[in-house]
Amino acid sequence: MKASRLPPHIMLLLPAVIVLAAVVVLPLLLSLWSSFTPFRLTRPESVYQFIGIRNYQRIFGDMDFWIAFGRTVLLLTVALNLEMLIGLGLALLVDRQTRGQRLLRTILMFPMMFSPILVGFQFKFMFNDNVGLVNNALQSLGLTDKAIPWLIDGKLAFLAIAAAEIWSSTAVFAIFILAGLMAMPRDPQEAARVDGCTPWQTFRYVTWPFLMPFAFIAMTIRSLDVARAYDIIKIMTDGGPAGRTEVLWTLIARTAYSDARMGMANAMAYVAILLSVAFTAYFFSQLGKARAQVAGDW
Amino acid sequence: MDANASARLKKRGSAWALNIALFISMLIICLPGLWIVLNSLRPTVEIMAKPPVWIPRELSFDAYVDMFSGVGQGGIPVVAYFRNSVIIAVTSTIISLAIGMSGGYAFARYRFKGKSAWFLGLMLTRTVPGIALSLPLFFLYAKVGLIDTHAGMIIAYTALNVPFSIWLIDGFFRQVPRDLAEAAQIDGCTRWQAFWQVEFPLARPGIASAGIFAFLTSWNEFALASQLTRSTDSKTLPVGLLDYTAEFTIDWRGMCALAVVMIIPALLLTYAVQKHLVSGLTSGAIKG
Amino acid sequence: MATLTLSTLDKKYGGFHAVKGIDLEVADGEFVALVGPSGCGKSTTLRMIAGLEDISGGELRIGERVVNDLPPRDRNISMVFQSYALYPHMTVAENMGFSLKIAGRDAATIDTAVKEAARILDIELLLERRPAQLSGGQRQRVAMGRAIVRDPDVFLFDEPLSNLDAKLRGQMRTEIKQLHARLGSTVVYVTHDQIEAMTLADRIVIMRGGVIEQVGTPDEVFNRPASRFVASFIGSPPMNMAEATVTRGALHFDDGTEVPVPPTFTVAEGRRVVLGLRPDDVYPEGHGIHSESGHAVDSRELPVKLSEPLGNETLLFTEFGGENWTARMLNPRVVKRGEVLRFHLDLSRAHLFDAETGLTLRG
Repeated sequence: MKASRLPPHIMLLLPAVIVLAAVVVLPLLLSLWSSFTPFRLTRPESVYQFIGIRNYQRIFGDMDFWIAFGRTVLLLTVALNLEMLIGLGLALLVDRQTRGQRLLRTILMFPMMFSPILVGFQFKFMFNDNVGLVNNALQSLGLTDKAIPWLIDGKLAFLAIAAAEIWSSTAVFAIFILAGLMAMPRDPQEAARVDGCTPWQTFRYVTWPFLMPFAFIAMTIRSLDVARAYDIIKIMTDGGPAGRTEVLWTLIARTAYSDARMGMANAMAYVAILLSVAFTAYFFSQLGKARAQVAGDW
Repeated sequence: MDANASARLKKRGSAWALNIALFISMLIICLPGLWIVLNSLRPTVEIMAKPPVWIPRELSFDAYVDMFSGVGQGGIPVVAYFRNSVIIAVTSTIISLAIGMSGGYAFARYRFKGKSAWFLGLMLTRTVPGIALSLPLFFLYAKVGLIDTHAGMIIAYTALNVPFSIWLIDGFFRQVPRDLAEAAQIDGCTRWQAFWQVEFPLARPGIASAGIFAFLTSWNEFALASQLTRSTDSKTLPVGLLDYTAEFTIDWRGMCALAVVMIIPALLLTYAVQKHLVSGLTSGAIKG
Repeated sequence: MATLTLSTLDKKYGGFHAVKGIDLEVADGEFVALVGPSGCGKSTTLRMIAGLEDISGGELRIGERVVNDLPPRDRNISMVFQSYALYPHMTVAENMGFSLKIAGRDAATIDTAVKEAARILDIELLLERRPAQLSGGQRQRVAMGRAIVRDPDVFLFDEPLSNLDAKLRGQMRTEIKQLHARLGSTVVYVTHDQIEAMTLADRIVIMRGGVIEQVGTPDEVFNRPASRFVASFIGSPPMNMAEATVTRGALHFDDGTEVPVPPTFTVAEGRRVVLGLRPDDVYPEGHGIHSESGHAVDSRELPVKLSEPLGNETLLFTEFGGENWTARMLNPRVVKRGEVLRFHLDLSRAHLFDAETGLTLRG
């Protein structure tokens, strides 16, 4: 390492910055521009035609867009909260086991290895009205003799998608919270028990404040790639039938590639990006707060 | 004595209830995977049977044999997809590790202005949904001729993996005491030597797990790949999976078999790094 | 306040038998110290009393109540942990008032109790701080304050001073003693430091390998150790020991030296025994603690291998009966290495143990 003119940290960060600028920032600028044009893939010259915020005006006035937007936020909120709760429960259940923890942890990580596309396919198979595991089981147990249209009815499909999403991502929370449980000192918990706490009070007043940073770091990491849910939905319903499970991302894909209206799709994409950034920024700030609370001794 | 007896009963009862809850949760986690493995081994008629067949009557590896016999059932070139996936995932992993190590080291060891803003900025590039990124990338790639090439996918996945690699590797370098590199420099190493002789070996398990994480991300990615690849020249396994779905019919058995093929490398790798992965991500949680 | 009764209390971890059916009675207001080397079962015993560890067998009573299976919150105890176990996200005042808050007391009561405890421990100025902003000694006080506020039946201390430096430890020891005198509470105090046990406790319980070796007042365990282990564990520097065979009314050491059998003991001919003498009872002529009058004293010339001057006294190291012995020299003068001094061995104060069982041969 010869003495270079730039300070070393800039040299070290440069490759990362260049790659991200070229592959993420530059294209995003491009798409920002094209969101102000009526760009269609079929008419490349249309990318130079500036139409101001007409695309945005149109999507903001578009009911279908808002429904998809609302559905996306609802899905994320429901899924993330349930994942956090279930993950916490799982972590606590595994933590109290004295034997076989390693095996249990490996099983916990199992869904993390599945590509979202595989998860989508798996659940599409399981919720299939004709040959799926769920209907087969319900029918064999005599709970119903009908084929429940899991992926065809709008509400049921939402449930099925949420189930798939939760199955695939709860592990992230469970693993992080478990790591928190293992890292935390046990004495304060014992002190709380001696101080007269019931198990619930011990959890509420002592364990949870310790775990919060871990839960939020899991939230932050999860929010970084919430859009992975696109893969699941794409496979399970592809937004259908008749748009009954359409979310932002499937709508973007359809607008861009099926309808070839790139400019419009890019405008929608910007809304989706801002949504993701908002989720991440929110959890990141929560992480900071939680960390400040238990900081010091750690 | 009554209080003791009831306290004991309560303790035992809740212990049992919690063990059962754990068992059921584990079952739910494992079930979808087992279901897939089972169905990849069953003939299609049995999968489709009404009323359902619960205990498989015959198992065979036909689906796997078909899949790898080149133009098998439906003529899906699984071998080519597999090769593409490996080439793209491995190359992009190596590149993003190199970039991630350099960036992670900068965050772990240097103080500079706006450090946390830079960090957050890099992380935020990761939040861009794949589908949103695919639109301009598709356009750009079409201009420079990167559509449907290995290089195009490798570049895209490298960018996808760099932020997370930096996060992980930063965490691992921070766990290596600063004193060690300084001691090595006093012992006569240059900064460069100190890094490779002392800091790198100590952070290696963590870096390996960052690599595997990057590999898995590339291996599993779909949204970008589905738009930027076209043919057997660059189509990866996740995209190839869609070949099994025709307009109205799905070859469930073939799909299950391909799913198993996709999951096995991921399974082995994740198992190998599970311990380090979590410690790298959480070390950032506690000491900001 | 209450008594505490342990009857054949037992703890097994799988195949490991940590505590082997111990019996102990702690009187109301008594300060009992559990000492022993690490792994002797003292902490496990304490944790069973606290309810943090399941009891495998036997019976535990606080007052008249059997509490074997009750959770900690139903035992009315408080505990000071080795790591202090303060809640990092609460202020000092919140830490101290936490047990009362959980018990549902009103804010005014809690406030009064916390202020009172803070006054006793002299930490009134720290009440609004977080544990991370406190020094080790201050955290220690807060941990004790948290225990006091509760006004429990029994106080449990788990090596509370072992994370402090030597000077602070001495100071806190005195304070704990004063606190006990003031509150008159029942205390069980676990430590591996025999000095803490000697200075603080009304009675000392010496444990080894899950069993109680001896229970007694500091005076008893020091002057009448029940076994070779207790003799070597209590006292600093430790008791000098050497193995010998009884022949013709004298102790024959393996290196050929001979001393008479100490006067208070009667031992059979040919028996293997261990002679124990505290460093206080081995001294150069004219430099001892005790007077020789009326004592059976064996005198002999021994070369000094090493000396450690401590100011008010000097420790001399010499070889006796094939072992390295320590002698305590009061009103010291400069002793050169290799200098031969005339040592008195005060046999009236000697201890004899069976070489095999390690038990005392005192009648």
